[in-house]
Amino acid sequence: MRRFLAYLLAVVIGGAIGLGSALWMAGLLPGANTMAFGNVDVRGWRSDFAIGSEAADPYTRARVARYGLLALAKSEAVYFTRATDEDGAPLREACTYRLSGGAMPAGWWSVTLYDAASMLPANSDGALSIDASRAGAGAWEAVIAAQRPEGADHWISSRNAATFDLTLRLYMPEPAVIETPTTALVPPRIERLTCGDAP
Amino acid sequence: MKRWLGPILVAVLCAAGMHMAALHFAPTVIMGQAMSTLAQRGVALHRFTNPERVTPQTQQVVRSSPDLYYALCRYDLSNPGMQLLVEMGDWPDYQSLSFFAAQTDNFATLRSTGEAAAVRLLPPGSPAGEGAIVSPSAKGIILIRRLAPSAERYAAAAAAGKADRCRLVWKDRIAAPAQE
Repeated sequence: MRRFLAYLLAVVIGGAIGLGSALWMAGLLPGANTMAFGNVDVRGWRSDFAIGSEAADPYTRARVARYGLLALAKSEAVYFTRATDEDGAPLREACTYRLSGGAMPAGWWSVTLYDAASMLPANSDGALSIDASRAGAGAWEAVIAAQRPEGADHWISSRNAATFDLTLRLYMPEPAVIETPTTALVPPRIERLTCGDAP
Repeated sequence: MKRWLGPILVAVLCAAGMHMAALHFAPTVIMGQAMSTLAQRGVALHRFTNPERVTPQTQQVVRSSPDLYYALCRYDLSNPGMQLLVEMGDWPDYQSLSFFAAQTDNFATLRSTGEAAAVRLLPPGSPAGEGAIVSPSAKGIILIRRLAPSAERYAAAAAAGKADRCRLVWKDRIAAPAQE
């Protein structure tokens, strides 16, 4: 009887360790760091070019299923995500940021704000992103803030986002982005301007 | 100590087996949940459904873009001999037709900026043919994306979407859209 219980305990403990380690390594546990993935890092913007492809490893598949379902393969679009400003501090609703950049090596691009659950923040400001059609050719700037800033050409609202991240989409990326992303892509900068007391 | 070797070995094997099984099944389970959720929210089987413009109040899938028009079609090619006829209407800007298997793979994408496109989707194991794509899984999702970053462009994209088709075909007969 004691021997049977020992083996039963071994099965339960082994199964729990296996399940827990798989969920942890795939970033599926509650509170997991959504940025702890990817094989590409361009100045703090992270991506995994295996997204959507049949070559994706099981960890990438599981992570994409949770955080980027129905994402396109890299030949059609690549996705970069960043959750910190230029100083490495987490992006927070309480702070105001300047997002700036230039032309991107892609047919179309956008930058969109998502909350910690990978959803658009629950507000009705109608200011969720900036894209190539609004930014125009050449250099551009947008302000990320919980309230509409005065005098800014472009605003991305962080109201009700708490801590958040930004996703840069590059549709129809130039081949160089796939081959040598660190030299082909100059991603947007995220400079913290001010911070208040909110979360 | 020797008497613990057996249970320890069993624990290690169970951990490794459960680890691999969880990773193997997680995408399919999550995709299955997503397909169920889409079905509950009105995304039809074998017919393109155009959800409302993506906003915080209408979003259905994680990390949807508010700058794109989406149309979704769930499919089920479990029965042999069935296939889908998929058509994407004309749109002057970027548009694509992408296919996702039950394991979340984006196994095919057709970009068709400025013109309409049509393709047949065949069940797993079918021989490939011209103008046809073979699905690696019986069930999956087809997704049309159109660049539409403003309310006006979204309305125009929705009008263009009236030409989109996702029809189940059984032995040269076109089946009626599923009633669900």
